[in-house]
Amino acid sequence: MSDWITITIDGRQIQAKDGELLTDAARRAGIDIPVFCSHPKLDPLGACRMCLVEQETPRGKLLITACTTPVREGAVFHVSSERAVDARQGTLELILINHPLDCPICDKGGECPLQDQTLKHGPGKSHFWEEKQHKAKNYPLSDLVLLDQERCIICWRCIRYLQEWEDKPQLGLFHRGGETVIDKFPGTELNAYTSGNVIDLCPVGALTNRLARFSYRPWELEKTPSICTHCGQGCNLRIDSRSHRVRRHVARENPAVNDEWLCDKGRFADGISFSADRLTVPLVRKDGRLQPATWEEALSRVVEGLKEVVDRSGPQAVGALASAKVSNEANYLLGKFMRGVLGSNNIDYREGSGLLADPRGLPALADVHSADLIVLIGCDPAEEMPVLANFIKRASIRRSVPLLIIHARRPELARYPGVFLNPAPGEEIPLFDALTRATLEARMEAGAEAIPDWLSAETPPAAFPAEAVQEAARLLLNAEKPFIAYGMDYAWGFGARGILAALVNWVAAAGHTERLGFLHIQANAQGAGDVGALPHQLPGRRPLNDEKARAELEALWQSTIPAQPGLGYSGMIDAAANGLLKAMYVMAADPVGEKPAHAEALKQLSFLVVQELFLTETAKLADVVLPAASYAETSGTFTNTERRVQRAPQAVRPLGKSAPDWLILMHLARRFAPDKQNAWNTTSPEAVFAEITRAVPQYRDMSWENLGEEGRQWPWDALSVSRELQAHNGGLLNEPDDEYPFRLVVGNQLWDGGTIFAATPQMAHLGIQAARLHPDDAASLGLAAGDAIEIRSQAGAIQTTLHLDPNIKPGTIFVPFSLRDAPVGTLFDSRGPRTVVAVSKVEAPVAAPA
Amino acid sequence: MSYRPILTARIGKVDPTSLDDYVAHGGFQALKRALALGPDAIIDIVTQANVLGRGGAAFPAGIKWKAVSTEPGPKYVVANADESEPGTFKDRIIMEGDPFSLVEGVIIASYAVGAHQAYIYIRGEYPLAITRVQNAVDACYQAGMLGERILDRRYPLDIEVRRGAGAYICGEETALFESIEGKRGFPRIKPPFPTQVGLFGRPTLINNVETLINALPLVQHGPDWFRTMGPLDSPGPKLYCLSGRIRRPGLVEAPMGTTLYDLIYNYGGGVTGSGELGGVLLGGAAGTFVTADDLDVFMDFGSLREIDAALGSGVVIVFDTSVDMKAVLRRIARFFAHESCGKCYPCQLGTQRQLEIIERLAADRLRPGDLQLLSEVGQTMTDASICGLGQTAHSAIRTALKRFDFDPSTGHFARFGPPSGVQEALA
Ligand SMILES: Cc1cc2nc3c(=O)[nH]c(=O)nc-3n(C[C@H](O)[C@H](O)[C@H](O)COP(=O)(O)O)c2cc1C
Ligand code: SF4
Ligand code: SF4
Ligand code: SF4
Ligand code: FES
Repeated sequence: MSDWITITIDGRQIQAKDGELLTDAARRAGIDIPVFCSHPKLDPLGACRMCLVEQETPRGKLLITACTTPVREGAVFHVSSERAVDARQGTLELILINHPLDCPICDKGGECPLQDQTLKHGPGKSHFWEEKQHKAKNYPLSDLVLLDQERCIICWRCIRYLQEWEDKPQLGLFHRGGETVIDKFPGTELNAYTSGNVIDLCPVGALTNRLARFSYRPWELEKTPSICTHCGQGCNLRIDSRSHRVRRHVARENPAVNDEWLCDKGRFADGISFSADRLTVPLVRKDGRLQPATWEEALSRVVEGLKEVVDRSGPQAVGALASAKVSNEANYLLGKFMRGVLGSNNIDYREGSGLLADPRGLPALADVHSADLIVLIGCDPAEEMPVLANFIKRASIRRSVPLLIIHARRPELARYPGVFLNPAPGEEIPLFDALTRATLEARMEAGAEAIPDWLSAETPPAAFPAEAVQEAARLLLNAEKPFIAYGMDYAWGFGARGILAALVNWVAAAGHTERLGFLHIQANAQGAGDVGALPHQLPGRRPLNDEKARAELEALWQSTIPAQPGLGYSGMIDAAANGLLKAMYVMAADPVGEKPAHAEALKQLSFLVVQELFLTETAKLADVVLPAASYAETSGTFTNTERRVQRAPQAVRPLGKSAPDWLILMHLARRFAPDKQNAWNTTSPEAVFAEITRAVPQYRDMSWENLGEEGRQWPWDALSVSRELQAHNGGLLNEPDDEYPFRLVVGNQLWDGGTIFAATPQMAHLGIQAARLHPDDAASLGLAAGDAIEIRSQAGAIQTTLHLDPNIKPGTIFVPFSLRDAPVGTLFDSRGPRTVVAVSKVEAPVAAPA
Repeated sequence: MSYRPILTARIGKVDPTSLDDYVAHGGFQALKRALALGPDAIIDIVTQANVLGRGGAAFPAGIKWKAVSTEPGPKYVVANADESEPGTFKDRIIMEGDPFSLVEGVIIASYAVGAHQAYIYIRGEYPLAITRVQNAVDACYQAGMLGERILDRRYPLDIEVRRGAGAYICGEETALFESIEGKRGFPRIKPPFPTQVGLFGRPTLINNVETLINALPLVQHGPDWFRTMGPLDSPGPKLYCLSGRIRRPGLVEAPMGTTLYDLIYNYGGGVTGSGELGGVLLGGAAGTFVTADDLDVFMDFGSLREIDAALGSGVVIVFDTSVDMKAVLRRIARFFAHESCGKCYPCQLGTQRQLEIIERLAADRLRPGDLQLLSEVGQTMTDASICGLGQTAHSAIRTALKRFDFDPSTGHFARFGPPSGVQEALA
């Protein structure tokens, strides 16, 4: 296919790939053919006619559109012949006829292909004098995207993007002829999760970012290549800022990660870097109240407070919560501080030791593009990683790749061909066992070994028809290059160990363990662990008793590392509750927000420090609150779910007196242990990264420079994980009964009620902030959509609104994480969410969310 | 006029609602013969006969049939019965008067190219044609001649009748596919051509109704017979649609290459109105104007092309000298501005600008430079548009200005009578 051929353009012979489009061949050869509708990521359409050139054919010279014409050996084209130039000028003149030319107030002005093409290829002046047509301006397609129909040049890029990538054709052409306009369909809204990409694609200022518009002129922007820190995909983006304020995020191309797309959360939810709710000065508790203080005061208080506890109760009485939301540098230094300065292994993060994630995350995101089967287990990319979800959709649509989905709810991706299995919590192990058995049986037919006797011989639950189980087993067994991802839902809390073992058995039986990976939801869940924010592992995911690792790190840190494993995330909170832990250092974590009852535990502490962007529920309890800088205000690296370490350089200066995490920790350590200043003398985040590359073997070959703009992955086989068929204990859930008839299902939704959206008020009302029941269950409880309900478990109760959703499995209730004012954490204890609940109507309505 | 109609022979004689009567009038003899010949032989015959598409584009049917037959299935056959070109009514008369012949033509084509599903896409404003064709299809199913077998041969074939919804553009083959697929009818870019990527992305044979029914006599009588009619480069019988200021308007079947004079004066009985021929619009709104100077032209694809005219779908609209030609042009310009689908700029805005200039022309308010501008817009549309609509939207206007002695100083066409007002009804 990719044989090189020779074609002629304007008398010049150039090399081209056989069958590629003329526009692509010309671009490579540096020959400029203007385009509007053509776009490298969209199917050729040939609508705008801007790229007309002449081709020599047996029927004479014909005008053809370069963007739709594949080149063949010996083809001869004329780009600058008089007829071609005339045709293009004529077309451009027509395009401009109705164009409002409001460049001076247009967001696109200065980066507008229409301006550029007109300058280069336009006729100079118009022959026409008629009144321009008037169409809708400032027309909202959604809360995020605004349309100016007058500026639209009907290139169909927006239409095609939504159709070809998100498979949600939400925009179309309406009316005919000169009255043609782009619009949404009557009664609908543009609500695709990656809708904002149409703004980047639009070659004019017809589609604009409602949150960013009128806040900059493109030429005034400072452009910082960075990444999105909202999820574990780590999409590449560019932060555009002006006068030290982030103005917008636009997508940045990285073929291995996000191609050139962002989801709407990544694009629009940029408020945390300038939110009015941000902490801008340190706060110190005086007279029982948190009061503004200087850094000097605040840091001294922290040193004193921690010292006191260490002196009185030993370093084991101090714990630290790290965070998957912040950089490797912040997590690394917090770990180094705990182990190397305080002398405690009590450090963990929410997605840390308690999550049964594969320590290597996912083999590679880009594997979806070549996979012949996509298996999604307990994860929901459409809500959790919309850009990845689009790749999956495309694999299904373009390459007919079957999707094998196992999930407690029916996720959006289940609408694509393949097999969908829907175990309620508690039904997973029998399902995986049945899949393992079906796989082994199929292999036995082909002469393989026997079925181990520990494998349950039970037939799969009635909920899983034998054909579906067999089809699923067959799909995985016969796949050559499956992309297999499991997620949060099955990797956490009581029962997860058994589920994972049962899952691994199935994947191992099918011979694909090396393709089984974990999909991290949080931006740096992989990195925080890599750099050692774990109670049982040192940087590099090495065990605490790895003598070589200890020696290396002790030399680097100039200290002795305690040998005794530390407490994990919930262990620390429990220890705080029963008085074993006396002080905590909480960085970018909010245990009280997740579960208000945690406040009781933290109140037992004698000293609490919170390093945060916002005054969270946890921060409100602190003795000292240290204002941290956001992702845009300092440089750092993040490691995405496929082990890709990527740079997020500083784009704007820290807000107010907030300071970068690394700098805060650096100062703290130097004050706390003046004797260790030689181990704490880095002066930039880049230098901290350089130190990380010495502390983390997998990062050894990396440097801030060589991460480049596309990041670097550490090799999948740099760590080995044993994945063998093994007997497992079925972790059993407490069964539903009359008092608690529903199984609880938790999970993520893109539009949640969390801080990110709270900080971007224009987005705060998006999505459905409610718990979801199947309509039949609601009917049998006498509940209707919109009812205020109470959900109660043995652990606690929350109140929220009811949403009816046929995708919820009967007998279960879905309560998303970060539901505004209704933290689902209330419903379970430290053993996690696999529990049962009761649902009832609340007569007094819940207060409307602010 | 020794010619005996072939394509329309049964019309008026056969009961269009009766399968039995169709058979009694020789119906399905062609299919029987086709089944005996086998697909390859049928395609050879169509190729040798050099049947040019009657939908207007004059593409050789044999090439299409051959191309689709060599593609892998599933594939489709589509009968284009959208017939929206102003002045065209030949397909309607076939469908109303002899609907079974279209069904038979579709079956032969499907069998020849190896399709098991066919569609007949009929213009929505043709309720009677829709009823009759649907009835014919149903009757064939009832008689066991469709579905699992065709005639008595095991060969699965389903035919579905679809109706258009009034858009001219949906007669364009790729827009028609979009319409059948349930989407708004926008033309697609070509290549790929329908023979490779057509309906539902599959290889598709699409032919005009008239093209398809030509297959009936052709398989029975062979290519040599077919080529006895008309010139060798576009042979066969042809349906001409006579209308306008003509004594006997209506459908005329005559050999390809009949002269324009014959059509107007012998078949059509001559010009009415002023009695003096002002101009003739050939091929409909997308066609070309000729004048009395061109009466000797042979009405076939090649001969007309030579004089910068086009046969199109066989439309012959006659205008006598009393007609307000400017109003006629305005009507044509409005038609295109209204029907442009909006997909591509040259056409969606070109048709609009063309209309504005023609409005000024019709209102005697032409501005200096307007004619030059008109010709530039026309050139852009012709060169740069995606589909035939935009590419031909200027051709009637261009040929009128060229042939009708337009006098820019007076703003009138010298050949046409009362300058304005009289023919408002046409507008
Ligand atoms: C705007 C436009 C309208 C058309 N309308 C019709 C039509 O109504 N009927 C038809 O047979 N062909 C129509 N055509 C031509 C078709 O695109 C196509 O060429 C034809 O169906 C092929 O059949 P044939 O080869 O048998 O002529 C139209 C083309 C254009 C550009
Ligand atoms: S809105 Fe923009 S992207 Fe969409 S068709 Fe118009 S110009 Fe193209
Ligand atoms: S998919 Fe994830 S990383 Fe990508 S833009 Fe969205 S939130 Fe950010
Ligand atoms: S030429 Fe006209 S009708 Fe054809 S695609 Fe373009 S706008 Fe539509
Ligand atoms: S860029 Fe080729 S037609 Fe639009």
